[in-house]
Parts: sequence; structure tokens; C-alpha cells
Amino acid sequence: MSDVELIVQVFINGILFGSMYGIAAIGLSLIFGTMRIVFIAQGTVIVLSGYFCFWLFHLFGIDPYLSLIPIIIISLLLGTGFYYGLFKESAALKDRIGSLLIAVGLMFFLENFMTVVWTPNPRAVVTSYGFFAFHIADINITLTRLIGLVLAIVATLGISIFLRKTLIGTAVRATSEDAEASTLMGINPNRVNAVTFAIGIGMAAIAGVIMATTYSFDPVYGLDFAIKALVALTLGGIGRVVGALLGGILLGLISSLGAYFVGTDWSQGIVFAVFLLALTFRPYGLFGGGGAGEKA
Amino acid sequence: MANQLLEVKGIDVSYGDIQALWDVSISVEEGTIVALVGANGAGKTTLLKTISGLIHPKKGEILLSGKPLSNLKTQDIVDLGITHVPEGRRLFSDLTVLENLKLGAYTPSARPFFADSLERVYNLFPILKNRQNQRSGTLSGGEQQMLAIGRAIMARPKLIMLDEPSLGLSPILVKTIFDLIGTLHEQKLTILLVEQNVNQALKIAHQAYVLKTGQIVMSGRGDELLANEEIRKTYIGERVRKR
Repeated sequence: MSDVELIVQVFINGILFGSMYGIAAIGLSLIFGTMRIVFIAQGTVIVLSGYFCFWLFHLFGIDPYLSLIPIIIISLLLGTGFYYGLFKESAALKDRIGSLLIAVGLMFFLENFMTVVWTPNPRAVVTSYGFFAFHIADINITLTRLIGLVLAIVATLGISIFLRKTLIGTAVRATSEDAEASTLMGINPNRVNAVTFAIGIGMAAIAGVIMATTYSFDPVYGLDFAIKALVALTLGGIGRVVGALLGGILLGLISSLGAYFVGTDWSQGIVFAVFLLALTFRPYGLFGGGGAGEKA
Repeated sequence: MANQLLEVKGIDVSYGDIQALWDVSISVEEGTIVALVGANGAGKTTLLKTISGLIHPKKGEILLSGKPLSNLKTQDIVDLGITHVPEGRRLFSDLTVLENLKLGAYTPSARPFFADSLERVYNLFPILKNRQNQRSGTLSGGEQQMLAIGRAIMARPKLIMLDEPSLGLSPILVKTIFDLIGTLHEQKLTILLVEQNVNQALKIAHQAYVLKTGQIVMSGRGDELLANEEIRKTYIGERVRKR
């Protein structure tokens, strides 16, 4: 394999992996946008979804992509439950510290729960077609990663259309811009927040299935995932759905190209250096202006 | 007594430990324009926010056509027919003009009449129809105020509360906004108007209240207050001529 081909391979892997950060970031972005909650447990929910996928596959032989249907339904219910059960009060008070602590608590609880139920050993969903790959010249693209990228793009477009074309989606965007003004329209803030939370957790669930079919994972993998999603969100700009996906893909590229050119040890360091640079020079994201930036 | 649409009876309102309104009572007769004037920080916006249910009073009650509102949520109050155009317009600047208007008709009682209401708003403000697919943040100041009022009309209100609608507009646009308030009145809307342009507000108002540091210190017909020397000196800034 020549150098050029290797770089192309690294590039493609970066995109595929980054799309997963991207859809995790979309969930974070929506939740932060409407409720000003930094939902640090997002990564852990992704891992939880991975375990559901793993269980459905191993116990019942349900294909991981088919399992998306029950997993998405469960995740929407779970998201609604999280909002009404845990975050309603702090969202109403715009209490960011309180909600962050609740999210941290939820993250540790879920990590421990998963460790007890599924043991700390790494798991993966290995299907019969899991090793199938397309070969173009010397470059391999595994089928599952390609499906993952397609799923991420479809989910992003789906959310974009939902936010633009439905009345409740429009209400979510309005609440994200000015929660008090949206209340004055007669929009029930709890309903909007619950819908947003459900969608955020739904995006995490899709990311979880992509992860389970492409990588191995363990119960404490989530925090790293959530932090990467936060970086992706910063790169993409808060409140921008497509921006978050692009931010994730960019992050995936930086991470994999950094690992290739500078060294694996430096990969994380480079990611966070980029994060700090972006926060310093482009705090509203790399794509587009500062329109949907956070309002105090 | 004439038909009172809104009655505020002896409310006390606090932000934490700081009391903002003291035993405030006002009433708004159906089909009239009522002005609420006073200096910055007197509590005018607080009173509107309390009527909207964004803040709840510690004491006293608020009635809409005799029905108590004090413990209802904002969405229910809007649904019952009170809309509040907040100070600074507070449009959703990332949303289009049409999307802003759609959200104006969000409540269950307004939603079925969306098409009719939209036609009504476009008749009042033809410019908004031309700009319907434009982001509202790109509108001029006057157009934004029209959209803010249009968005409130979409909710099919009985009472529309306008908080400083002429603030920051040029003199010509101020006139346009006051003409518009007259038009809304002709269309049988009841209007509660908060204004820093006291002279104009009192001219147009049937009834007016003066708020000072959280208390109603004066009330009367608009023209009566306009003739009051104290009012002219304090709020209109006119030198009272000495003989």
C-alpha cells in the first residue's frame, strides 16, 4: 500500500468515525440550545444504546439495523422521561450548574448500571456481513462504516426537515433563540423541552447503533465520546444541525490525520488544541456567522 | 359599570426579596385603549409580565372577563385571549416572517383560524406578505414592529398588550405605529399600552394609569391626565409657564 493510499484510507476512516461524533453533537446542540443544559451523559447514552443493540442481537438474533426501530422508540421515551424526571426544574430555572451536576450523576449511574449488567469487558456486535468491505484500488471501506455514514446523514437531514417543516420543530427553533418570547406565543415550554430531549436522546441512540456495528465498546467509553461531541459542537456552531455533523466529521479527520502524521499519542492533544483555537477565534463555530450563538 | 375585560385587583409582585409592585389595581374596559405610563423602572413591564403569567403575584388577583388568571400558565392565558408584545419586539430573528406568524397562531384556540388570521395581518401590513420568506432579523425596525404586532394578532386576542411599541423608531414610524393602534381599536380590539411617549399615549388613550416606584399614583381619562400640570411637568418634560 502506497503512502497516498494510506492517507486516503486514514481520511475516509476519519470521515466515517467523525459522522458518529456529529450526530451525537446534534443532540447536544438541541438540548443546549433550548434548555441551556450541557448534557454530558450523551456519550454514556450512546454506549447504553450500543448495549441494547448488542442484547437484541445476541439474545434474539435481531439484526442491528432492524433493532434501530425498537431502540429509537425506547430512546424517545427515555428522553421524555429524563426531561420530566430529572431536568424539568433546572431547565425552568435556567440553572446550568444544577443541570450539569444531574447529567454527571446520570452518567455515573448509567456507567455503573452497565458495568453490573454487561460486565466491564469490551463488547461488539459482530454480524456475518461485518467484515464485508469494498475495495477500490488498495482502499478498504467496510460496509458497516459506510452504512453508519449514510445513517448519520439521513438522521441529520431528517432532523433538519423536522425542525423546518413542522410547527413543533419551528417552536423548538424559536425556543432555542428566545425561550421567554416563545412562551409568550403560548408555546408550552415543557412540551418543547421534552420533544427536544427525546430527539437528542434519539440521536444518541442512532449513534450507539453505528458505534456497536463498527467498534468495540465498554461501559466507561461514554465520557470520551461526550467530550468529543462537545468539541464537534463547538466546531460546528451551537444551534446548527448540519454544522454539528460537519463539525463531527472535521473532528474525525483531525483526529485520524493527526494520529497518522504526528502520532497516535498526540491525537487527543491535537483535538483539544483545535478545540481551544476554535473557542478563541471562532466561538460561534466555523461555518456561517454568529446568528444562532448563545444569548446570555 | 361598563363591561370590564381585564381587572387587576390589588396585586403585589416581587423578584426574590425585592418588591416591584405594591397593591396595584387597574381595569381595562372592553373595546378601549388604556395607557400605562411612568418612568423607567416604575414597574410597567413587570405589570404586563404578571398579567401574561410570566411572573405570579404574591397577593391580589387578575381577572379576564371575571375569570381568575392568577395561577394559570402563560400558554393558557394566551389561549384565553391575552397577547403580550414585549419590549424590544423579541422576534425570532433566525425564523422567517411567515414562521414568526405561524408561531403567533400556536395556541389551540388560534390554530384552526390560521389562514383567516394570516389574511387579516397581510391586509394590515401588505409589506409583510412581500417579505414572508425573509428572515425576520433582516427586516427594518418599522417592519419588525409591524411583524411583532402582526404576530400578536395571529393569536386572535381579546386584549393586546403593547410594551413600548414606538421605542427606537423614527418620528414618522412612531406616527405609523400610533395610527395602527387606532386601527386596531377600530377593529374592536382592546389595547393595554405601555409607552415612554407619554404625550402621544395619553392623546390616544381612553383611560390611563400612572405608575411610580411600583404604585399607581394617578389615574383618569387620557385627556384629563394630559391636561394635568404635574403630568406635563414630570413625564412630558414641558416647562410649566409661570405667570
